Amino acid sequence: MSHTRVRIHKAERQSFLSKHAATLAVLPVFGIALFFYFGSAIWSIVMSFTASKFFPDYAFVGLRQYSRLADDSLWSLSLQNLGVFALGSLGSLVLGFVLAVLLDESKVRGEGFFRTVYLYPMAVSLIITGLVWQWLFNPGLGLQQFFRDLGLTDFDFNWVGDKHKVMYAVILASIWQSAGFYMVLCSAGLKGIDAEVWQASRIDGIPKYRMYLEVIIPMMSFTFLTSFVLLSIGAVKAYDIIVAMTNGGPGGGSTLPAYYIVDAYINRRNIALGAAGSTVLLLIVAAFLIAMPLINLALNRRKS
Amino acid sequence: MRIAPEIRSALALPNRIPSKNPVSRVVIFLILLAFAVLFAVPLYVMIVTSLKSMDEIRMGHIFALPVNPTFEAWDIAWNKASSGFAAHGLKSGFWNSVAILVPSLLMSVAVSSICGYALAFWKVRFGNVLLSLLLVCAFIPFPIIMYPLIKITAALKIYNTSFGVSVIHTILALPILTMIFRNYFASIPLDLIKAARIDGGRFLGTFWHIILPLSPNILIVVAIMQITGIWNDFLVGLTFGNVQAYPMTVNLNNITQTQTGVRVYNVYMAAAMLTAIPPLVIYFLSGRLFIRGITAGALKG
Repeated sequence: MSHTRVRIHKAERQSFLSKHAATLAVLPVFGIALFFYFGSAIWSIVMSFTASKFFPDYAFVGLRQYSRLADDSLWSLSLQNLGVFALGSLGSLVLGFVLAVLLDESKVRGEGFFRTVYLYPMAVSLIITGLVWQWLFNPGLGLQQFFRDLGLTDFDFNWVGDKHKVMYAVILASIWQSAGFYMVLCSAGLKGIDAEVWQASRIDGIPKYRMYLEVIIPMMSFTFLTSFVLLSIGAVKAYDIIVAMTNGGPGGGSTLPAYYIVDAYINRRNIALGAAGSTVLLLIVAAFLIAMPLINLALNRRKS
Repeated sequence: MRIAPEIRSALALPNRIPSKNPVSRVVIFLILLAFAVLFAVPLYVMIVTSLKSMDEIRMGHIFALPVNPTFEAWDIAWNKASSGFAAHGLKSGFWNSVAILVPSLLMSVAVSSICGYALAFWKVRFGNVLLSLLLVCAFIPFPIIMYPLIKITAALKIYNTSFGVSVIHTILALPILTMIFRNYFASIPLDLIKAARIDGGRFLGTFWHIILPLSPNILIVVAIMQITGIWNDFLVGLTFGNVQAYPMTVNLNNITQTQTGVRVYNVYMAAAMLTAIPPLVIYFLSGRLFIRGITAGALKG
């Protein structure tokens, strides 16, 4: 590193600043973590036990907001939609894994080209993802009409207009957006597998598909666990794509908890209800983060 | 023919022999090609729709190339489209996004890189406590801290300003960026830093003259991740900005959701393209570094 300039200070200044510089550098982040993250989260949890409407009110009313949530069919529907969305998002991981395997197997020319095409949706805002898929799902001018023109006159692709199918449309758009990302994660996982494993399988004459199902996928359990965490966090966070594609409709069919909560805060101006909803989200994330390492542990124990 | 692994690696032969069967190779290639087409369809539809007139769009051939390509919709999207508040198009949103992006990029990188450096090389009391706190912060869902942050920014008189949006982006980025910098710096050989410290190089001097020159890659990766993340953000801009400060994504959404007339999909798609072009350009130019950025920043939020 000869090009690096090293300034030598003969006399080390022992001022307060230089002695405590490292501590001072850490303080802002420490303060933000404690105050803006933990402080804010605790404040919201406290608010969820009050009856605050537009202004904070510190009179406690117990679990009233939570029972309101439980009674609100839109909230229950949003949790159900979250479950559907989280399960459907696994499609991103499945497709990403398949693409990673195919690219790894084929060693085709233009591998870089394929990777670039699969990943570009990740660079684009979810507002744009929602908008363009809303256009593709347009019943009169979009994909449905295209397939009807081809002769499939009964082709029904108006998922966005159907309360019971709209989540599938959101899932499809979401898979388009993020499959490339999971391909990248899976490619990294595949690269990490020892070459001797493959050589051994060739010598033993094990067919490829069994090799993947019985050896490679179990060996990539860490990649998959990471992906599960990211997918579930992505589902809990999902907001933009709903706004741009469906606005939570039709009939609440695509309302997700984050959408419900922001609506409670901003449009219904009900602090306590929004706080209760976001506390439930926090609990969901916490449960998932506690469960994941335990599952990992159980898997590892079974392996050995 | 079997070759022992040592000989194989000495000959630099590939560890994995691609399928010898040419039929299966062609099949795999065709599957990959089909998926590439499927992935490209939305972008293709965006581009051709944005170049059509509404009359042509109403004919209902979504995949057809434009008969008379025109940039009229792009002009309307940039200059004239109505967002429900004003009919100034997307250009104000573009400049708002720039005004939000630049301060938040500088603030978040400056604060998190220095903190990461302090945690990696200097004895900081409770340093490990802070690292675990930051990991927890990275998983706290945004909705639960959103309302208190609105109150705090309102008290600081920066709510509904682009600077307020920048501050929130900085706060949201700090946990993950600090961890990324700390982990990267921790991989730099200690000898280099020790030498500088014995020679009396002070805290900031070591950072500026030794650490930063060793870290151009991580700075670029973090910058790409922050630029695309902040440019594509919607919720923070919506909740912390106002009509004068809305970023381009919020502006775009307002344009597409004004219910004052027919839905002009050519203008919507042109507006979407205009909003997508900056991050797409970064994506196509930066390649591998972009991939590292999104994988490193995956936990963000």
